[in-house]
Amino acid sequence: MGDGYGMSAATVTANATCLGCGCACDDIDVVVDAGRIVEARNACSLGAEWFADGRVPTRCLVDGRDTSLESALTRAAELLFTARRALVYLAPGLSCESQCHGVAIADLLRGVLDSATTDTALDVVLTSQERGYASATLGEIRNRADVVVFWAVDIEQRYPRFLSRYAPLPAGRDLDAARASRTVIAVDVGGATAPRDADQRIAIDPADEVATLIALQALVTAPPDDRPALGAREGRAWAHARNVATTLLAGRYVALVYDAEPDERARRSSRRFETLAGLAQKLNDSTRCAAVAMRAGGNRSGADAMMTSRTGYPLAVDFARGYPRYLPYDGSASACLARGEVDTALVLGDAASVPASVAAALHSVRHIVIGPRASSALAGPAVVVAIDTGVAGIHSDGMALRTDDVPLPLRPALPGLPSAEAVATTLVGHLAARGRA
Amino acid sequence: MTQLRIVGGTVYDPLNDIDGEVRDICIDAGRVVEDVPPTAARVDARGMIVMPGGVDIHSHVASGAVNVARRLVPEAHALDPAPAPALIDTAVIPRSGVGGIVPSTFTTGYRYAGLGYTTVFDAAVAPLMARVAHGQLDDTPIVDGGFFALLGNDRLLLDLIDGGERERAREYVAWLLGATGAYAIKVVNPGGVELWKRGSRERTELDTTLGSSGRVTPRAILETLVDAAGALDLPHATHIHCNNLGLPGNAATTLATMRTLDGRRAHFTHLQFHSYASTPDGRWRSGAREIIEYVNDHPSISADVGQVMFGAAATLTADAPVEYLLHKSSGRKWANVDIELETGCGVVPHEYRERAAVAALQWAVGLELFLLSADPWRIVLSTDHPNGGSFMSYPRLIRLLMDRTYRDAQLRRVESRLLAGSALTDGLEREYTLREIAIVTRAGPARLLGLRDKGHLGVGADGDVTVYAPGDDVARTFASPRYVVKGGTVVVEEGELRRAPPGRRLHVRPPYDRAITHEIRTHFDQYATVRFENFPVGELRDAPSALATRTPSAGGR
Repeated sequence: MGDGYGMSAATVTANATCLGCGCACDDIDVVVDAGRIVEARNACSLGAEWFADGRVPTRCLVDGRDTSLESALTRAAELLFTARRALVYLAPGLSCESQCHGVAIADLLRGVLDSATTDTALDVVLTSQERGYASATLGEIRNRADVVVFWAVDIEQRYPRFLSRYAPLPAGRDLDAARASRTVIAVDVGGATAPRDADQRIAIDPADEVATLIALQALVTAPPDDRPALGAREGRAWAHARNVATTLLAGRYVALVYDAEPDERARRSSRRFETLAGLAQKLNDSTRCAAVAMRAGGNRSGADAMMTSRTGYPLAVDFARGYPRYLPYDGSASACLARGEVDTALVLGDAASVPASVAAALHSVRHIVIGPRASSALAGPAVVVAIDTGVAGIHSDGMALRTDDVPLPLRPALPGLPSAEAVATTLVGHLAARGRA
Repeated sequence: MTQLRIVGGTVYDPLNDIDGEVRDICIDAGRVVEDVPPTAARVDARGMIVMPGGVDIHSHVASGAVNVARRLVPEAHALDPAPAPALIDTAVIPRSGVGGIVPSTFTTGYRYAGLGYTTVFDAAVAPLMARVAHGQLDDTPIVDGGFFALLGNDRLLLDLIDGGERERAREYVAWLLGATGAYAIKVVNPGGVELWKRGSRERTELDTTLGSSGRVTPRAILETLVDAAGALDLPHATHIHCNNLGLPGNAATTLATMRTLDGRRAHFTHLQFHSYASTPDGRWRSGAREIIEYVNDHPSISADVGQVMFGAAATLTADAPVEYLLHKSSGRKWANVDIELETGCGVVPHEYRERAAVAALQWAVGLELFLLSADPWRIVLSTDHPNGGSFMSYPRLIRLLMDRTYRDAQLRRVESRLLAGSALTDGLEREYTLREIAIVTRAGPARLLGLRDKGHLGVGADGDVTVYAPGDDVARTFASPRYVVKGGTVVVEEGELRRAPPGRRLHVRPPYDRAITHEIRTHFDQYATVRFENFPVGELRDAPSALATRTPSAGGR
């Protein structure tokens, strides 16, 4: 590391991909000076926070004491190999390659495999499996959507560059003008507020949300002659729906943007995602519509996709019988931990991003943490092994998926630290060798 | 295992004019050689059938779309769990997975190999999703393979055609194939997917216009891409999924497409789905005879069949408007993903039932194409996995082709309402020979793919060999080969999967005129949401296939 006094020359890693949220902006120029990130150009506030100064701890701990990577890995392999029942938990912050290693470890150990998706976006995933979905990659929204509905998504806070990178602000290939050719509908549900710059805004009580969506479905699927009668029905839901339906039906390509991982400010019906997905599908009978369910940062969609391609299922997989079984309710990490079924857990990824309920449940079992800031994030006597790694996308390369499953390369601005991928590869080797012995 | 002698089998190697001769096949360092020393390992193939490893020219095994399908059918996975195989190969970790209609990656590789197939191509990858496809192929063991890049609705390509710049379009294609690590050009419903994205619900005809100049039509897209494959000396012809898939009367579209490309090398895929005539009241009937007779008479055309097999299927295609129609008619769940600037993606689970009139017609049309084909070198066995049925149904399909009694028994069971006019009902006597099976499942597709070292067992060929034990039931014979050798490694022994080395990636990197990158970069800057620099997949594990020497039109490097 340089001394910084006029000796160091700043380096720029161009077109880096940010995993601060699911937008996965890949136009970040990361400036490094004297071994620190000093600027992440083009990044939003979430991105700046995600890149930070790029400095992470580099410790390997066994039972709270510093040790070498090799001995930490040996201990980790021993714990996992002797586990009665192991849980492999894919926390956010992993490259797809590392996620695949996590799948391999769970398969090898006949363990439980789960990811953060189960505790943050379960309803969206299950809905997509039960009824399918009408969607598009974000560029299609950018190039084509002339009606953009932000449904109860704090887009400016949660996905800050969505508006400027995808819609409504950019010019599109199939739009005459940029913002002016689009109609933006903001639907505020409870405390969730859609963008300030909307052409049409409605505010819905969370209790009326599903009823409004069902009324909307009825309006957009009704034969045109029946619509006035339907629209004349009384009640808040019909009034809201009436307000929106005409605009939706007049659109050539409607984007329905919502948050797959909403916070807890309002109690919401678990059916809301089903009705949102259903509305988007049904709008395709009259016009084109794509629903976009936004995911948070850290390559969360990647975990779903890697698990699906390698096991057939996007989350909550149990390998106990020697093959993957899908247990989205009973087999989640939280459920298995709560039942005391698991005696050893491996947390791969950024432990600080493990959902609070899972983090709390992990206190009851011995576990291994491999990922950025492992040595500090899940402190406590249950952490037997902690191996700090770099952050995928800052210190190591690989692939990550955007919220819409579009893959992007990760370009490390500060290479050199051990990556979760490399550590997991070695761990797989240890476990396989023990299995053969 | 570096040296191997497969002893005394009855060899079917049509590319080398070997038709059922007893001989040894020797392999050294992964390739077929004249002879190996007596110390070489031996596989006893006496009394057995020996063929080159199977080559699948058109399947869906590794792509973003395949993953959409995997995600959509957990119920199918649950019915077919796939425990890890008992490998003796300690270099790799045996992996469990799921089978069903859209198997997980590892299981896909194991099952293809278990069927005696050693080369598989995914026929439809959106360029934007190329990284995902390569990642899945990396975890699809044993089989060599690659993918075809979807180009028939690509906006920059359409813009270049619109501007009358077909030569520049070709340079763009060359760049794109290299950037994505693809093997061939794929066209799906040329222009029609873009029209669907614009909201059209009409049939797409060859002269439907899309651009501002009137120059962009499905016909122009097809001509441009077929010519590009020729000019770039690509190993495989442009792989064409015609307009109007599945619609009654689409045989007219298919014939018109063939005529417009007359004399140019072109591969028409899942021809079965494009060979329907229509009755005066607009219902389906077979148009297979007219289509296959045209193919028979035109040696520049090849096809794979896309046979429908009764049972579960998952329809997944870049032809998204087809999936919308299927969803509306079947009521089954539906996933659609419009892919920016490139293509579409639709998935609907499906079931072909013997007693369903349309399914029975589709089944019959596929068999007509096989049985009326005059040149096995230009007709390839496929089910368009998993669209017409799983690749796991190939053995049953082979039996349908080889065993008339079995075929006729099934014909008697199927709903015959739409079969009037089908040649199958007239009693097609033909039974495929083993030589013909070897052609339509390996030698032919290898030749059509330009894979000089595959599909045959001559000296220098890849050491990919399948050994089948003959029996009364042809389907059983082809379902569980006794031995499968991949690149000289015995992967299946005594019918059990024992080794699972990684497969090799097959891809091309044609030279192109560097001047085109300026235009591509501008297009990315204006309309793409992925940076130009982040689009190419970079170096792959295996080197690109050698191409015939080609000089780009404007002196590229």
